[in-house]
Amino acid sequence: MSLVHSLSKGLLIMILLLPLTSSCAPAGNLQKGEQMTVIDMIVKMDRGDYWSTIKMGAEVAAKEYNVKLNFLAPENENDYKEQIVLMEQSISRRPDAIILAASDYEALGQATDRSSYYDIPVVSMDSEVASTKVQTFVGTNNYEAGQKAAERLVELTGKQSDIGIVNFVKGARNADQREEGFLDYVARFSGIRVVDIQYCGSDEELAYRLTRNMLTNYPSLDGLVSLSAESSIGAGRAVEEMGYGGKIMMIAFDNPPEMLELLQEETVQAMVVQNPFNNGYMAVSAAVKAARGEKLEDKIPTDTKLIDLENMLWPENQKLLFPFVK
Amino acid sequence: MKRMQAVSRFFRSFHVRKIQVLISLSSITITLLTVVLVSVLLFNRFSKAAEENAYLNLGQIIEQVNANLELYVGGMQDIFELTQEQMNAASDIPDDQKLDEQLGTILNTRKDLVSIALFTKEGNLVRGVPELPMRQNTKLTEQLWFESAIQNPKSLQFTPPHIQNLFKSDYRWVVSMSKMITYRDDSRVKQGVLAMDINFRTIDELSQRVELGKKGYVYIIDSVGNIVYHPQQQLIYAGLKYENLEPVLNYAYGSYLDESDGEQRLITIQTVKPAGWKIVGVAYADEFLTTKKELGGFLYSFLLAALVVILIINLYVSARIAQPIRRLERSVQMVEKGDFGTNVYVSGAYEVEQLSKRFNLMLRRIRELMDQIIEEQEAKRKSELDVLQAQINPHFLYNTLNSVTRMAELGRNEEVVTTITSLSRFFRISLSKGKLIIPVEDELEHVRHYLIIQTIRFKNKFRYEIQAEEGTLNALTLKLILQPLVENAIHHGIEKSAEEGFIGVYARVSGDHLEFVIKDNGVGMTQDMMDKLLSGRLRSESDSGVGVINVQERISLYYGKEFGLHYESEPDEGTTVTIKLPMVKTDFPKKERDKS
Repeated sequence: MSLVHSLSKGLLIMILLLPLTSSCAPAGNLQKGEQMTVIDMIVKMDRGDYWSTIKMGAEVAAKEYNVKLNFLAPENENDYKEQIVLMEQSISRRPDAIILAASDYEALGQATDRSSYYDIPVVSMDSEVASTKVQTFVGTNNYEAGQKAAERLVELTGKQSDIGIVNFVKGARNADQREEGFLDYVARFSGIRVVDIQYCGSDEELAYRLTRNMLTNYPSLDGLVSLSAESSIGAGRAVEEMGYGGKIMMIAFDNPPEMLELLQEETVQAMVVQNPFNNGYMAVSAAVKAARGEKLEDKIPTDTKLIDLENMLWPENQKLLFPFVK
Repeated sequence: MKRMQAVSRFFRSFHVRKIQVLISLSSITITLLTVVLVSVLLFNRFSKAAEENAYLNLGQIIEQVNANLELYVGGMQDIFELTQEQMNAASDIPDDQKLDEQLGTILNTRKDLVSIALFTKEGNLVRGVPELPMRQNTKLTEQLWFESAIQNPKSLQFTPPHIQNLFKSDYRWVVSMSKMITYRDDSRVKQGVLAMDINFRTIDELSQRVELGKKGYVYIIDSVGNIVYHPQQQLIYAGLKYENLEPVLNYAYGSYLDESDGEQRLITIQTVKPAGWKIVGVAYADEFLTTKKELGGFLYSFLLAALVVILIINLYVSARIAQPIRRLERSVQMVEKGDFGTNVYVSGAYEVEQLSKRFNLMLRRIRELMDQIIEEQEAKRKSELDVLQAQINPHFLYNTLNSVTRMAELGRNEEVVTTITSLSRFFRISLSKGKLIIPVEDELEHVRHYLIIQTIRFKNKFRYEIQAEEGTLNALTLKLILQPLVENAIHHGIEKSAEEGFIGVYARVSGDHLEFVIKDNGVGMTQDMMDKLLSGRLRSESDSGVGVINVQERISLYYGKEFGLHYESEPDEGTTVTIKLPMVKTDFPKKERDKS
């Protein structure tokens, strides 16, 4: 009888458990028919290595997370009005999430707030936006990047030196943060004077002219730092043309090919390089998590790297400096 | 604790010996085991086939990529060898004008060729096409292609893709082929490193085009694990991704299942022979082994459906079997409580039907027996009442007293005394203190007094004779059984006869039995009359009112059916009634009995 008893108990347990185990099976099956996540990525510009690299990283993540990625950008980099229009259009399409690289910190805030009304999570990337509705910020730690540049420049010029800064847009969040990081670091050294700060408004030509002026006004300048790709190209050209190459220690930002050439020729001593590929990748993966309703960290910083002649040909840096196979 | 109690209560209420439960459990167990076993076997068989198929598919894709790459790299290798031959042939490399043309031709044959250059062992450029100025700070002697050519002088070296920073031109991703060669410089034989840079684009595009499901991809590493191509190269360098290269390096070709990052991935490896690179196909199991999952899902739902069907059929069948038995049980319970009236009708299995039929038969038999008992009890009571009446016998008393009055008027005193004496004795025995059973002696005495009175009443119209055999007198008998028969004989036999009548009453032992015989020589009876008499339809309208049938009933009630009356009669010949009774002796001598 005890055999029958134990048998019956075992059977009963099996019968009770069966629905449990079988309920797992459809869950597994769901994955196959899993809906694609639709993510709109609105950036500042559709051209240039920087944004193309972001796009490349985003596409790698899109493939990995089964995402349909719409890559959108206005014609010109600082056309925030067009960006607002893109944002409105995107909201009306009701994607699962929006990634926004805001051209203007304040102007895009309202549009971002509106997306939350339709329950569309927004991940801000590269540049922050004035909205509390943003799920997270994926991007370069600009303050730290500024500090990195300052640290290396101080190493190169010594603790008694005059330094000039070529920044891009005064009031632009990234520019301000980089500048702030830089200034905060050099403020530790009483012997270091920041003699001039110029803003080129993301214009290579203006940067070139401003740098020439600066070099003319302050011929005893020991160090120069340019805080964006455009200002670096302009400043680099000015330094080279005026024959200051190697005499003035120069730290550049980002990695346009022109700068690498200057780096190899030792006109530029080092450059702070962001990782746009990772930015794109992380932004999409964060957006996927946000679309699923997961809680995210307030900030997901991506590292910057200080590249100099010594490490520019390290395999891991080559891919960072030259993201495209041409 | 409470839950435990509830569970144990549940199991206790679950009668494992119930037929329904037994049938259900055993058949469910068997079918379930069978279904599970078959499912598992099927699943294993099919999923294995599906897996093999997936591996085969992957292998073919990677094989294709490998073939393309080998062709490409092989072609480049040929060009390198051609270049090397021409370098060898040239008598004075730095100044050979013809060489420029030849190298230029070679360079132009393949647009993928970025540069061909010969360097001294110290890293100085000897000759190169296209002719471009060198950059500063190239650190070319520290570069992999240069170092490995120096370290492995015999063989052609392939580097992973890298940025070419030698010449003042665009920075390009190239794969370098390099080898240490000997060349002639102004008739002197020197050693140098020949390097040929191939644009990486073709290989990159080739690798990018490979589709291994939605998420799957292909990557290429060189023989020591440097990444040649990887779609997520940047993520790996940034530490955001990890590719488990260790097992890959152990394979030249083949495939295995990798679970290092928690997800099942099918890894397929092929080696590009000229370069020693490994093409690694990474496919995600959940994409490629969908058959397995689908099959699993199907089998699961099949199992579930089968279980539900089995359960339903089982419950139905076992209910069909067990329900009639339970109904039967309930009916029996009703009978147990005393309700014999209900008929049990149970349909169902043949055996159960038979059982209920038999049970019904039994019930009917019990009912009949009970009815019979009730009937018998009623009859007994009735005959007892009859006997009580017979004891008093008012009609007879009235007739006798009438005769006595007449005799007294006529002054026949002697007859009056005899009649009164007999009457008194008659009634005394009739009553017998309420006893039903009396000695034969008393019964004969009773009938003798009756006959005395009747002979006086009928003025000696008949004679009588009473005889008892030895041993019968102290036997016991029901009282008042002879008198009604004698009365019958007088009224139906003697009275109607013209001749002088005769009535004989005899007690005798016949075998184990006691027999009374009452004989008369009256008119006798036809068979028809005898039947009527015994069935009680013919009643003597006599004094006593206790008919022959009453005597018969009393005897059979008291002693059993085999005892009773037997008539023999012929018309005009007389009638003989034989009463058969069991022989029961009284234990007491007659005297004592009288006293009591």
